[in-house]
Amino acid sequence: MSEKFHRELKGLKQETTEMVRFAREMLSESVNALIHQDFAKARQVVSKKKHIKDLTITLEDRTYQLIALYQPMAKDMRVITCTLKMISAAERIGRYGKDIANMVKHLQDQPDFTQPVPIPHMADQVLKMIDNVISAFETENLEGIKDFSSRDDTVDALWHSIFREMLTFMMENPKTITRGTYSIMVARYLERSGDHACKMAENVHYMVTGERIEIK
Amino acid sequence: MTPEPIISTHDLNLWYSDTHALQSIFMKVSKNHVTALIGPSGCGKSTLLRCFNRLNDLIDCVRISGEILLDNENIHAAGTDVVTLRKKVGMVFQKPNPFPKSVYENVAYGPRVHGIKNKVELDTIVEQSLRDAALWDEVRDRINDSALGLSGGQQQRLCIARTLAVEPEVILMDEPCSALDPIATAKIEKLIDTLTRDYTVIIVTHNMQQAARVSDYTGFMYLGKLIEFGQTNQIFENPQEDLTENYITGRFG
Repeated sequence: MSEKFHRELKGLKQETTEMVRFAREMLSESVNALIHQDFAKARQVVSKKKHIKDLTITLEDRTYQLIALYQPMAKDMRVITCTLKMISAAERIGRYGKDIANMVKHLQDQPDFTQPVPIPHMADQVLKMIDNVISAFETENLEGIKDFSSRDDTVDALWHSIFREMLTFMMENPKTITRGTYSIMVARYLERSGDHACKMAENVHYMVTGERIEIK
Repeated sequence: MTPEPIISTHDLNLWYSDTHALQSIFMKVSKNHVTALIGPSGCGKSTLLRCFNRLNDLIDCVRISGEILLDNENIHAAGTDVVTLRKKVGMVFQKPNPFPKSVYENVAYGPRVHGIKNKVELDTIVEQSLRDAALWDEVRDRINDSALGLSGGQQQRLCIARTLAVEPEVILMDEPCSALDPIATAKIEKLIDTLTRDYTVIIVTHNMQQAARVSDYTGFMYLGKLIEFGQTNQIFENPQEDLTENYITGRFG
């Protein structure tokens, strides 16, 4: 029974890792579509919404089944609870990707102005954090998530910087308000995705060590 | 604050002839709490349990060193009355073992042995013990019927009532639910929870979920050693020893 359980738990963990990667790709592709005004790519991202929802339900159900059938304890239980939280975070990140992709079409008729400079950089920072937390979940090596606190500070600083930059544009030219507001929302979604990466890192740390940490 | 210990062992060792079955056990059992002992078969948990009321004395080849203190008194001290000790430290076994007598006589047996002859007093003890063992409502109308006619779960609660009748301080339970169905098991577990108001319970179980459900403290034993002892939540959520982790997650045992 124990071998069967551990085989199933390993499979669940592997598929959860793939789900987080899928959500990460949705976010990455949506930012690319936004930067390059690629409507076809944006539509592709939006169409992935159903798949991430289906993955959420399927993986959550399997997690509940493992709890009900095997009553896991200690590290096994921590893997299960961490997996559940990873699934929720991945779904949120995927939906932020979908939300950003949806904005691409709204922006096409808006007067053009320079994209907020820090958005590609901010997206890059957040995506790297997600990559690192995926790796930590997969390998149980916590090295890559050690500096998440300072990296999250960087992401927060970028969000505030974009917010201020957009306000300036909008005050100078009210015609940019729609585009400026959407850009603020994109930055906000990226900042929230960074927060989800931090939450995932906290959970992975607990899964591996049994000790709680708070990434502020 | 750590609760007051009722039993403590100091460097307790036990040998069955040449076999070193318990190795340097240091353990404190908290008063009015449930302590569970878990571990694979043959690890010494039942042997340790049987040390607490000197049941191992009945085995010829057993040799013991170290101390076991009950209420700060060494239970191996010269002059210790074993009958009194076993009155203070009662025991419930794996398989229900009622006497082939009536329900009433099963419970009244202990108090009679300890000198209570008055019928009214015995009636009171029997009723109260059966109530405390959550059995009274099920047997009040057949108190004089044979105990062997009760179901397995009822027989086990009768054995608990029989233990309670002599007013022990500590109740030792050696796999008390392993011969019972899930409903009877649930009744015993509920009973264990209520017993801690007045008694201290030490339970040996192979069922780790049961240990997690019923106990406040858990000790994990392996090859005669107490590998880890701590609050049950800590042992089952975040054990400090790899052996404990591997055992409770089913990787061996």
